Amino acid sequence: MENILTIRNLEKTYPNGTRALKGVNIDVKPGEFLVIIGLSGSGKSTLLRCINRLHDPTSGQIIFDGQDISKVQGNEVRGVRSKIAMIFQHFNLIPRHTVLSNVLMGSLASIGSFASIFGFFPKADVDKAMGYLELVGIREKARMRADNLSGGQQQRVAIARALMQNPKLLLADEPVASLDPATCHTVMDYLRKVNRELGITIVANLHFLSLVREYGTRVIALKAGEIVYEGSPSEIDDAWFARIYGEGTREVHIQ
Amino acid sequence: MMQNNFSQNLNLRRSVFDGIMFAYLSCVFLVTVLRPDEEAMLQLGRNASVFGILFLVGGIISHILNGTGRKSLGELIFQPAHKKAEESAPLLKSLWGWQLLIFNIVTLVVALIVTKSSLIELLDIDGFKGAMRLFGGLLSPNFEILPKAVLTMIETIFMAFLATALATPLAFVLCFFCSRNVMTSNSGFVIYSVLRMIFNISRSIEAVIWAIIFSVWVGIGPFAGMLALMIHSIASLAKQYSEAVESVSDGPIEGIEATGATKLQVVWFSIVPQVVLPFISFTIYRWDINIRMATIVGLVGGGGIGTLLMLYSGQAMWPEVGTIILVIAFVVWFMDQASAYVREALK
Repeated sequence: MENILTIRNLEKTYPNGTRALKGVNIDVKPGEFLVIIGLSGSGKSTLLRCINRLHDPTSGQIIFDGQDISKVQGNEVRGVRSKIAMIFQHFNLIPRHTVLSNVLMGSLASIGSFASIFGFFPKADVDKAMGYLELVGIREKARMRADNLSGGQQQRVAIARALMQNPKLLLADEPVASLDPATCHTVMDYLRKVNRELGITIVANLHFLSLVREYGTRVIALKAGEIVYEGSPSEIDDAWFARIYGEGTREVHIQ
Repeated sequence: MMQNNFSQNLNLRRSVFDGIMFAYLSCVFLVTVLRPDEEAMLQLGRNASVFGILFLVGGIISHILNGTGRKSLGELIFQPAHKKAEESAPLLKSLWGWQLLIFNIVTLVVALIVTKSSLIELLDIDGFKGAMRLFGGLLSPNFEILPKAVLTMIETIFMAFLATALATPLAFVLCFFCSRNVMTSNSGFVIYSVLRMIFNISRSIEAVIWAIIFSVWVGIGPFAGMLALMIHSIASLAKQYSEAVESVSDGPIEGIEATGATKLQVVWFSIVPQVVLPFISFTIYRWDINIRMATIVGLVGGGGIGTLLMLYSGQAMWPEVGTIILVIAFVVWFMDQASAYVREALK
């Protein structure tokens, strides 16, 4: 099967001289739930932000859906972003807007700038947004202000916003890192549902290995900007754990 | 490479700071020793070049001294963060301590001489009696002119309101063009810098000066005053607004950018919701400030109660002036309270 995403020799050096990514190669097949693990500062977030061009890569290729997107500019960047949705550790919703309005913002790229500013969202989009809120189980909260929701509910709103883009690929940057353990699983279950039922490919950064083993179909470990492990989540044993996270560290289990 | 540039930049700032201080102190010293006459003091070009040369000498001295490990005041202020953590010598055992002490003492003495401060004048009994006569007049206000004062005060309030109302939408649009986090591209930075410069210049020109310019342009009266306040308000509001824009959290911006939204959509949906409340608060406060400034602007022909105040104080009619001051004080107090309550409630 053809890759949905192919990354070749991806390098990212920040203006202050930090080399966040040092020649990363990744192949992602459609329908995968790929998990990226590694210490804070290992380059996980940078990698995701290079894929949807929130950051500009320094060199290398990112081939998404048959097109090299590593150097596109202007309107083309927005086109790429509209096909790749993203959810974030801190949800990044707009606090003073309603849940429904936040979900509708996922369709901004398909609506003219002025129409969206005056609030003219097509009826079809509103119906679609309500449908996705139903999918993530918070349809009844549609008229509430987003900042009145709990963390887990906010992340589900963010998932619904991401789905509004009709994405082929969903990037998740530490989606459960600021949630309590119980809520963690709810959010991860919805991501798996999106992955299995809607067939959307997911690339997620995660911290807890127990979550990786439960949800990931494949795992890649980054250390100081380089890939040190690639394979099945079940094959990460204590020895690998020590190599990825450093000697003397111990795994935290989350139930 | 970047690191290097950064520390060179800091070293340059240090030397400029020390250079200016050295040139200033040397000039004070030269004036004290040489006692030049007024004609010599007025030769601006020559004196400026003396200052310039002393500035260069000071910068070089600062560079050499800091090279040998003696910390100057400029170094203390502009040193990189990692050096700030180090313990520095006590005040009187360090170069920067003496520099600070001498600078403050010299400046205090020079300031006293330049402003012709004199305790004798302040305690002079005739002068004091004159001031008391004036206060007596102010404290027995003539309420016959109260209706007139109230009417012109209303004119002033509307003048301030219109200036604020016209300045707000303009400042709202412009503030995004002078916010660093919105103007991220290279060409954006040029627009950002140019706008910032224009606003800084027009803000540094007092509203009174603008009122004089506009009273020549459109004639003496409230319209000139309103235009003066408006120009000043645009610049001040745009600056305050853009500071609010620059302090928004990046998360929502990233969230909207990731959907493939246009720049306009990113600004409208992720930045505007975060700054609505501070914007309203700044605008109400600006109206409050404009009422106070409208009075001052009226003094130079900007209309309203300020012009009335000018009229009576010019004729030394202190009881009438007293009435006007009472009206102004009441309105300013009321607006101050009201705007504080509204702004508090909005938080």
